[in-house]
Amino acid sequence: MSTPEATTAASMPPASLTTHQSSVKVMGTLIRREFWEHRSLWIAPLIVAVLMSLTAFPIHIGDMDFEGAPNFGDPANRIGTFTLMIWAHTVPQYLIMSIVASFYLMDCLYTERKDRSILFWKSLPVSDATTVLSKFLVGLVILPLGVYVLAAISGVLFLGIWSMRVASQALPDISVGWNTVAWLKVQGLMLYGVVVCILWFAPVAATLVLVSAWVRKNVFLWTTLPPLIAIIIEKAGFGTRYIAHLLGYRTFYGVWDVLGINPTPPEEVHHGRVVSLANLFDNVEMGKAFLNIDLWLGLAVAAALLVAAIRIRRYRDDT
Amino acid sequence: MNTGDRVMSPVIEARGLKKSYGANQAVDSVSFAIQPGRIVGLIGPNGAGKTTLFKAILGLTQFDGELRVLGRDPRSERNELMQDVCFIADVAVLPRWLRVSQALDFVAGVHPRFDRSRATDFLRKTDIKMSSRVRELSKGMVTQLHLALILAIDARLLVLDEPTLGLDLLFRRQFYDTLLNDYFDKERTIVLTTHQVEEIENLLTDVIFINRGHVVLDTSVDAMPERYLQVTVTSENAARARELKPFYEREVFGRVAMFFEGRSPEELAPLGELRTPSVADLFVAKMQGVS
Repeated sequence: MSTPEATTAASMPPASLTTHQSSVKVMGTLIRREFWEHRSLWIAPLIVAVLMSLTAFPIHIGDMDFEGAPNFGDPANRIGTFTLMIWAHTVPQYLIMSIVASFYLMDCLYTERKDRSILFWKSLPVSDATTVLSKFLVGLVILPLGVYVLAAISGVLFLGIWSMRVASQALPDISVGWNTVAWLKVQGLMLYGVVVCILWFAPVAATLVLVSAWVRKNVFLWTTLPPLIAIIIEKAGFGTRYIAHLLGYRTFYGVWDVLGINPTPPEEVHHGRVVSLANLFDNVEMGKAFLNIDLWLGLAVAAALLVAAIRIRRYRDDT
Repeated sequence: MNTGDRVMSPVIEARGLKKSYGANQAVDSVSFAIQPGRIVGLIGPNGAGKTTLFKAILGLTQFDGELRVLGRDPRSERNELMQDVCFIADVAVLPRWLRVSQALDFVAGVHPRFDRSRATDFLRKTDIKMSSRVRELSKGMVTQLHLALILAIDARLLVLDEPTLGLDLLFRRQFYDTLLNDYFDKERTIVLTTHQVEEIENLLTDVIFINRGHVVLDTSVDAMPERYLQVTVTSENAARARELKPFYEREVFGRVAMFFEGRSPEELAPLGELRTPSVADLFVAKMQGVS
């Protein structure tokens, strides 16, 4: 840069001078940034995971009524109980995560406008597309996968504590034992579930990102009220419930259809057996979810919503 | 502009630049060129269109007309442009939750031309701790931090919009000293606005006055004495002086200070005491005088 030619550089194609930061490094930095700002992203899941591991302590199994309970001598029931315990253990973690993720996504492009820090972020060579994508990925992909890992670890901790208490005779012998194959199968099933959920809920996450980029204030109200009002107007005006069904399908129960998992085959329950999730794993047709047209329609909508959010962040001019 | 054999292309070149917000024409057909290696003061009253102009240069707003920054169109090539352009849009845009160490990590992670050791060297001279959050720093320290980040980036154009607003005199002086001594060189260009014209007029090489969306003056500071003269005229000479059409006059202690454009010193010398107006005086004259 010290040559005399450098003074004429304004006319030269700057690309030849520009050393680009690798896009992986930029994305990694942007993702770290989100965890610096939104500490609830990692603190909340961590606390829930620790609490869930500790639930192995205060349970007084001895006081419980075992009448009609499955026979733990049956190995199939032991495996079934083992897998159900692992599964039940994760449920609160995913519930809390979905709340954390929703609030994060509503907030992610709103706070930077509110505190005007967007002018700092925009002074650096990071495109709006990269920034918006990093926030979308954190809320939709990285957080669920992180909770998946945390839930797996806390599940092992839970079972470890449980087994020690059984061994020390603090609990009656209903040790379900450790079954590596069953554990791996449940983890596989859970991972499959998480991946399908990520894809299924992509349009919901993208909607939150768009609202976050768009509204001037009251993100939460703008997220929740318009659908409610639309449902009420439709019900009052036409007596139908299409919007409510669509929203319910897209934000909640639709994912069960896509997953193709029916968790309680009735004939087995009638025989007093505990259904093993590990067996379920053998029955799930993995490919089926990815052939669901609604899943792909949702992804297309998510992409369109993200493009809209990116354009708003790029061209908005009110700071 | 020819300098020796080298043809210098402008760092910023605007032609017929327009931007309106509803019925308000914030910038109206503005044209100017800023050459490399200059420190240009963009000076105008509130609402003159300075911030709009800045936003256009930085690709933060849409506009009509032609504008090239480092040879690029800020509307369509913003991402590439920001590799070579730095700006401080305002004080207090660093997010309050950010730690000093995180700020360094972040800029190092996204900017290919960031020299982290430069920034830490600068910060070591201040009272700023690496573990502090922005919310724990005083306003002056936040500006120092922002400056440390910017100075460590090897950019070709630095744009500063009221960078010292709300700072006390010591911080303001230190800010400009650092800018001049540690940052500026012949390959860099600085464009800045401030309300405190008096404080920066010694460091400017060029001034552009802007009022109601129009450029009312665009000159290098070196060329100012040739173009503008201020004559302090006694009242008996006032009528004679007015025949030479001053564009602004102001009464000072019973005498009249008149501002002329394009008059020779020989013409004006017999009328009273001659001097080159300061940038601040010229600004007031240009803003208030009806030309």
